[in-house]
Amino acid sequence: MDVLLAIIGQFGLYGLLTVGIAVIFAATRVVNLAQGDLAMAGAYVAATATGAPFGIRTLLALAAGVPLLLVIERLLLRRPGSDGLAAMLVTWGLGMALRQGAELLFTGTSRTVAVPVDGTLDVLGTPYPAYRLVCALTAIAVITLVLLAAHRTDWGLRLRAVADNPPMAALLGTDPRRMRATAFTVGGLLAILAGALYSPVLAVNPSMGFGLLVPVFFGLLLSRPGSLVTAAVAALLISALSVLLRTWLSDTLAEALFYAVVVATAALRSRPWTGRFSAWFRRTPAPVGAV
Amino acid sequence: MVPSHSRTRGRRLMRASRTPALAAACALALTGCQGAAMSGDDAPDKGGPVRIGVIVPLTGPTSQVGTALRNGLELAVKEVNSHQGVHGRPVEYVVVDDAGDPANSTQLARRLVRQDKVTMLFGTITGDTAEAVGRVADEAHVPFGTAILGDTEHCFAYQWGFGESTRQMLTPTVPGLIEKYGTDVALVGSDYNYPHFYAGVARELVKKAGGTVVAEEYSPLGQTDWQPVIGRLKSAKPDTVLSMVVGADAVTFSKQAQQFGLLTPKLGFEGAPLDADFQPALGPLVAGRTHTVRWSDRLDDPESRGFVKDYRAAHDWKAPVPEVAGNAYFGVEFFLAAAAKAGSNDPEAVNRAIGRLSFDSPLGKGTRFHAANHVLQADMQQVTIGGDGAYNVTRNHPMVADTTPKKGCS
Repeated sequence: MDVLLAIIGQFGLYGLLTVGIAVIFAATRVVNLAQGDLAMAGAYVAATATGAPFGIRTLLALAAGVPLLLVIERLLLRRPGSDGLAAMLVTWGLGMALRQGAELLFTGTSRTVAVPVDGTLDVLGTPYPAYRLVCALTAIAVITLVLLAAHRTDWGLRLRAVADNPPMAALLGTDPRRMRATAFTVGGLLAILAGALYSPVLAVNPSMGFGLLVPVFFGLLLSRPGSLVTAAVAALLISALSVLLRTWLSDTLAEALFYAVVVATAALRSRPWTGRFSAWFRRTPAPVGAV
Repeated sequence: MVPSHSRTRGRRLMRASRTPALAAACALALTGCQGAAMSGDDAPDKGGPVRIGVIVPLTGPTSQVGTALRNGLELAVKEVNSHQGVHGRPVEYVVVDDAGDPANSTQLARRLVRQDKVTMLFGTITGDTAEAVGRVADEAHVPFGTAILGDTEHCFAYQWGFGESTRQMLTPTVPGLIEKYGTDVALVGSDYNYPHFYAGVARELVKKAGGTVVAEEYSPLGQTDWQPVIGRLKSAKPDTVLSMVVGADAVTFSKQAQQFGLLTPKLGFEGAPLDADFQPALGPLVAGRTHTVRWSDRLDDPESRGFVKDYRAAHDWKAPVPEVAGNAYFGVEFFLAAAAKAGSNDPEAVNRAIGRLSFDSPLGKGTRFHAANHVLQADMQQVTIGGDGAYNVTRNHPMVADTTPKKGCS
């Protein structure tokens, strides 16, 4: 049970960030390298606006995030948007600017956020910190909502259409600029939420988001472009792999093995026969009676 | 006093000393001997001002500590200059920013020795940057002082540390913890050289005090989830946890250890997370605990009080004055007293004087370096962390010795 709870706790953080980066990647084909730094920005709102209750601070971070993300997308990403590499470098620069800005404003010293829900809960005989459970369940609920939106709403349909075939989606009336702006905002907000939500269990400092980028990037690498469900599953697998290895082995050995397994999986996925094998499972059944 | 803005100073000096620098570069290229001691041209002016090269991270993750060290050093120089300097010779300093990167530290230390012709080097925060400068100091035969706590297995002939050694931290602490909390001790640390060295000393002292090490855990730097480590530590049921988890991880580890029920008031807890740097972040979690340090801003000593007053006034400082600033202040005074005793700016003569000097300061009466390990034989203070963040001195451990020999000192 301990292990399961640890996986769920880790998945809440990685899942929000990975699904967020996958939403942005689906609409823009840009890997947002500032995803972790946006989480850091969210955590700083939770750490500094201490006059308000924690829930209000989280909403404040999200509310402040919307115009910020729209302006960033409009000013920095719209022009190089056609060139994926240039846009990715822009997001790298954005991340650096956020880190430096945080260092100037708040210095490099770590801050902490008081846990809003104290105490432990008994989960099937295992005591577990109540707030970590709240965090994980909130994150899972938000991820589920985003996945539902992607598969059950017009916006989701258009997002998946843009991800699959941008020129065709544009011909059919989807405004790609608007879609890119919405996707960047939604993806960025998920990161800000992750940062604010998990701030009471982490040390809040300017470089905190940078360390989160690696597992999130691996999650994106293992998912299928445009399919947010695969991004969520990849985040879950990465969380499970990380927790299981660290439960069985020492942290240092677990980390080395974790990277080896993820890189080997990504390499295997890129082999042509793997693609054919998985396509065979996903093939559309032939209509009954067809010859 | 030389302005502490490294760029301005650097540019000015570079222009002024281009010819000797070029000559030195050519000579190095011809001889292929990068690690030679200073030539006559490189040596500082013997009758001129005593010049200190200060290498600290003023940017990057350790910039706070670097800035505190520089602030302490600046005040020490001001104090010495206000009393006729070093036998009438004024003291100057050149501050350079290594951003905590050992590659920068090496380059900047060489520049300070060759271009700025410093008599002594001072500074660095992290162990890897200290080692980088220690190597340059040994090559160039220029004394180098550090102020940060902790030491390593290796020693350099020209390097002298004013921070407490690992043994000095743990010798007065471990028996008390075992007596108060129980015999089972767990060790946890970030996974790099120093925490392993710390654990080695801790194992030895725990055994000597009749305790047992029941668990030992290391985790790579930048860890965000400590649940598996805390789970293993908890299952070993320790009475005390000695932690050398450093940086932001010290905060994450301590918070999560409390959330998972490991860190309770019944558990003994000592190590890096109790340092004053982390107090603002950990606050109530460390309040009431005791910690062993070389210097605290609450030390009831006229010199210490004067320094603290000046520090607060100069930097509009309200929080506790960092230990590293105090170590740097009294460390530089020690170095300059050695320069006075040497009677010249010759770095080798100053280095010899440092090794022989006995110096009274708030760090202890008759503090001196042990020849076999270059560890400052000095007092340690037991402090109790108050709810207001004050590190109140509750016990003095006079002259805590560390005489364990190390390779490379002589």
